[in-house]
Amino acid sequence: MSWAIEINNLNVWYSDKHILKDISFKVPKNIIFAIMGPSGCGKSTLLRAMNRLLELNPNAKVKGQVKINGIDVYNDNVDITWVRRQFGMVFQIPNPFPHLSVYDNVALGPKLNGLVKNKKQLDELVKHALQQAYLWDEVKNDLKKPASMLSGGQQQRLCIARALALKPKIILMDEPTANLDPVASSKIEELMLELKENYTIIIVTHNSQQAARISDYVAFLYMGKLVEVGETSTVFTKPRHELTEKYVVGKIG
Amino acid sequence: MNKRKLKDKIMLGVISLLAIISAIPILMIIINIYAEGLKYVNLSFLINFPPPPIGGKVGGIGPALVGSLILMSLALVIGGCIGFFTGLYLSEFSHTRLAQYAQLFLQIMVEFPTIIIGLFAYSILVAPLKRFNAFAGAFALSIVIIPYIALNVREAYKSIPHSLKEAAFSLGISHSKVYLKVLLSTARRGVLTALLIGMAKAAGETAPLLFTILGATFLYFEGLDQPINAIPLLIYNFASSPYERWHQVAWGASAVLLSIILAIFIISRLVIKEVRM
Repeated sequence: MSWAIEINNLNVWYSDKHILKDISFKVPKNIIFAIMGPSGCGKSTLLRAMNRLLELNPNAKVKGQVKINGIDVYNDNVDITWVRRQFGMVFQIPNPFPHLSVYDNVALGPKLNGLVKNKKQLDELVKHALQQAYLWDEVKNDLKKPASMLSGGQQQRLCIARALALKPKIILMDEPTANLDPVASSKIEELMLELKENYTIIIVTHNSQQAARISDYVAFLYMGKLVEVGETSTVFTKPRHELTEKYVVGKIG
Repeated sequence: MNKRKLKDKIMLGVISLLAIISAIPILMIIINIYAEGLKYVNLSFLINFPPPPIGGKVGGIGPALVGSLILMSLALVIGGCIGFFTGLYLSEFSHTRLAQYAQLFLQIMVEFPTIIIGLFAYSILVAPLKRFNAFAGAFALSIVIIPYIALNVREAYKSIPHSLKEAAFSLGISHSKVYLKVLLSTARRGVLTALLIGMAKAAGETAPLLFTILGATFLYFEGLDQPINAIPLLIYNFASSPYERWHQVAWGASAVLLSIILAIFIISRLVIKEVRM
């Protein structure tokens, strides 16, 4: 079996603080993989260690391997911008570039990375990404309007379109529904189920019900350690670890 | 209860009064300068040569106005580039020791007596060439405005939410493009304001020019290696002369200089409004 991503003995420190401790797991392709755990357990850090966004923090130190298609993203010969383009990332707070238009938000990545040859190709790419994110019908007449005019849920789907426009293999989502109302949240969840046909999705959530609802595989992280990982149905019905059981029934977190 | 309300009212009254008092000097300066100077200002005043000390008509400040515009532009190009990239570095690499020292230096430089900067420019660009020259003036003005621009650009980049930086970097865009294409447009309001503050500063400074450009009152621009005049220097020279005619020119020049500064200030306010939407 080939994996979307393999993580081996990953350790992360912020200054002297050991945040992630010896994390190892593998993520199969075309599934939704949830990383759950209480706040502060290192979920978001783990996600940012995969696409090396962690390095925006000058105090962060990483040891270990993160492999995509057998290539370790921390290998010295690997270009960091290439690594980041292999992932699409969606954040906790919808963060479209507020001063850019809806169109430009999606077009920016492909344009600055030189992924398209001409305007026609770019138009098609933007349209396709917006369609994939279930946003096209709502914004097709407002492509020139600033992204800040959209509702929170629409902004988050715009961010998904922005991530998809780079044609990544893996989509990283950092609590993408944490700041959305229930209707907008369920739209995003539906969208994720649709997207896993073509992408591998890794989602961080502090909401174990959301993990149970949408994920195929789940990892439980507690105080920087990987407690348990496996198929979602198994982890939720027959957890091997006492901590996992407590978390799943809501006694911690 | 009533007593407390009364106390509040008195306090508020005192504070408001003090606020009004602090605004009085600037209003009086503006009124005074325009009352004395505006009557001399017209198109020919902006173009003509200054008058001889005695007799003749008021003339104009053409060479000094052109000189000021040249010095401002040159200082903005030199100081703007250096200041912008320094500010960017201070904001985005603030954890490095270099940035920490640079910031300390710039904060000291803001408070530096500008006459000393003028003397420094004299010693390295005027004395060796044995000639006052426009470039030395622009160089001194650049040094004066660099810390203002750098520290304001730093603030502009610092104020970009971290989530937008993460979004930009997550797209796999190179550092230089993230800073100069994506984030610059987010911070453009602050960056433009920084440049405009630098421009206003360059327009109004006198001391850095005293030892550098001479104040070639009766010459239009003849090259960067030649003496030149600037409005603040002309005001200084003419106002301290004993001639009534030159005092009138100094008043008119003051009105022009004040207008330039006010125009820059109003533009920077408009820029902020436009971008805020």
